[in-house]
Amino acid sequence: MNESLRTPAPEADEAAMLLAELDRQMIRAERALERNTLIDVDNLEVRYGSNVVLRDVTFDVPANQITAFIGPSGCGKSTALRCFNRMNDEIRGFSMNGRIQLGGQDIYDPRVDVTELRRQVGMVFQHPNPFPMSIHENIALAVREHNPRISRDELDGVVEQALVHANLWDEVKDDLKRSALALSGGQQQRLCIARALAVRPTVIMLDEPCASLDPISTARIEELLLELVADYTIIIVTHNLAQARRISDDVAFFLMGRLLEFGDARRVFEDPLRRETADYVRGAYG
Amino acid sequence: MRVSPIKGHARLSRWIGPASAWIAAAVVAAVCFFIVGHIVREGYAHVDWKFLTTDPDPSPAESTGGGVRIPIVGTTFLVLLSTLLTFPIALGAAVYLAEYMDERWAVTKAIRLGLEVLAGVPSVVFGMFGVAMFSHGVFTFMSSSGAEGSDVAFGRSFLVAATVMAIHVLPFVIKVMEEAIRSVPLSYRQGAAALGVTKWRAIRRIVLPAAAPGIATGVILGMGLAAGDTAIVWLTLGGTMNMAVDNWWALDQIVNVLRGTGSTLTTFIYFSSPAGEGNAPELAYGGAMVLILLVITLNAAATLIGRARRQTR
Ligand SMILES: Nc1ncnc2c1ncn2[C@@H]1O[C@H](COP(=O)(O)OP(=O)(O)OP(=O)(O)O)[C@@H](O)[C@H]1O
Ligand SMILES: [Mg+2]
Repeated sequence: MNESLRTPAPEADEAAMLLAELDRQMIRAERALERNTLIDVDNLEVRYGSNVVLRDVTFDVPANQITAFIGPSGCGKSTALRCFNRMNDEIRGFSMNGRIQLGGQDIYDPRVDVTELRRQVGMVFQHPNPFPMSIHENIALAVREHNPRISRDELDGVVEQALVHANLWDEVKDDLKRSALALSGGQQQRLCIARALAVRPTVIMLDEPCASLDPISTARIEELLLELVADYTIIIVTHNLAQARRISDDVAFFLMGRLLEFGDARRVFEDPLRRETADYVRGAYG
Repeated sequence: MRVSPIKGHARLSRWIGPASAWIAAAVVAAVCFFIVGHIVREGYAHVDWKFLTTDPDPSPAESTGGGVRIPIVGTTFLVLLSTLLTFPIALGAAVYLAEYMDERWAVTKAIRLGLEVLAGVPSVVFGMFGVAMFSHGVFTFMSSSGAEGSDVAFGRSFLVAATVMAIHVLPFVIKVMEEAIRSVPLSYRQGAAALGVTKWRAIRRIVLPAAAPGIATGVILGMGLAAGDTAIVWLTLGGTMNMAVDNWWALDQIVNVLRGTGSTLTTFIYFSSPAGEGNAPELAYGGAMVLILLVITLNAAATLIGRARRQTR
């Protein structure tokens, strides 16, 4: 019996599998090359007073992806987020080492215009915080700040477009003069997203945006983020691991001020490199 | 475990707090109603159209003549003028204290101490200070000069009284306005900052509109204080029942009116009441009733504004 003739399949299979694996590796390598880094964090260290709350944090946020920050309460997720739009600058005792680049530019360069940076890097907070004014004015306010000479018609167009993008237009188009405070929590949060979109940012950061919302509003926001990621780079802080799993491309796991693990969301959840990550993902930490 | 019934003393202690709070509130309300009721009872018969539209008769012998037209006008002038002076300064100071000052700075501590001291100074001291200060020659633009050819000012006029009044009410008004500004949620400021809105614009477009009802409350409080003060008026408005200018309603007399002396409801009460310098209690009660109505109206306005605010939220 000629074994080799009778059973050629195993080797062929192996070869095919090898080829397929090679192909996958190639694609990943290509993706890594293409990986279009937008925010580059290099050796970030943050203190509040003498309290070191972030140390040794190095990673990169790719453009047009959703990057999720996860980790137990107090590990520094919000602090990291606030470094990207320099909202920490307002906090007494804040000091920072390391470098953060946005599109190749050091955002802590003294020549950087902080208001312009914050236009580019929008932020949505845990609790919806629309201003106590009309829906229209909520969006128009910041648009005028960055474009004082905008005409009325143009402004109305920007407001409408932002509301459409935030999936809120249909619900509010009949009465844009209504107080934003009369909207539901989920609508308010989408208004806050619209407000951020209206000034044409490149990055949208959301700090636990669904923490005070019901499951339906949460699902709507998740859908919205998946739509927006085509045009924007999104960073989201979340305590909801299922949410991170559902929508994020990359995941950063923080623990006690350190970035313990960073990478492809699927890989981090299914095959974490660190025991701590595995424990957290299994639900061992608060 | 069995749920045990509340013991006697526990039941008592549960009631003692609410009960004493209720009693205290009732005492305050009773005192307030008693005073207002007394004034209305005594003054009501005397307040009629004639009383409101005739000028005071300063002759001491004539105890039943004269009304409060000039004092009403004087109170109005004084309140408006002092509000005009107080409002921008108080608002600016409140914004600065609430939004820009660092509590650790020596300047902040000095300003806070200054405001506290100012709030504790009795108004009669301000009155004395006002006359002394504004009698100085450089202030002749504020009051008609004392005598022909003299280089000192008279030191008593609507302008002087309003200025001194403004200084007197300033610390209270600043306090109320600062509280109003501070009570605007931080999340509005953060939301604005995160959109790249500058701090000043956020204050102007978001914080101040949100604090507007509280700011209005401060203005009205200042008006009430100015309308009710006696010592400053008595010393710095000239100790008279009428105005220096007879045809005060004429527009071309405005400068003379402002630089001249006058009277207000509080000085009218002081000069007619036997408790003060007069012998016409019924006139004093009539004036008091008008003044109280005025102050109640101002308070009602504040309440209405507060209600309007809650509805827009
Ligand atoms: N304004 C501040 N001043 C001083 N310390 C702060 C301040 N904000 C946060 N910290 C400290 O920095 C650390 C990180 O806080 P941060 O808010 O970034 O955590 P987090 O991961 O966002 O937590 P959570 O999930 O609860 O929001 C904490 O130890 C916290 O006490
Ligand atoms: Mg946080």
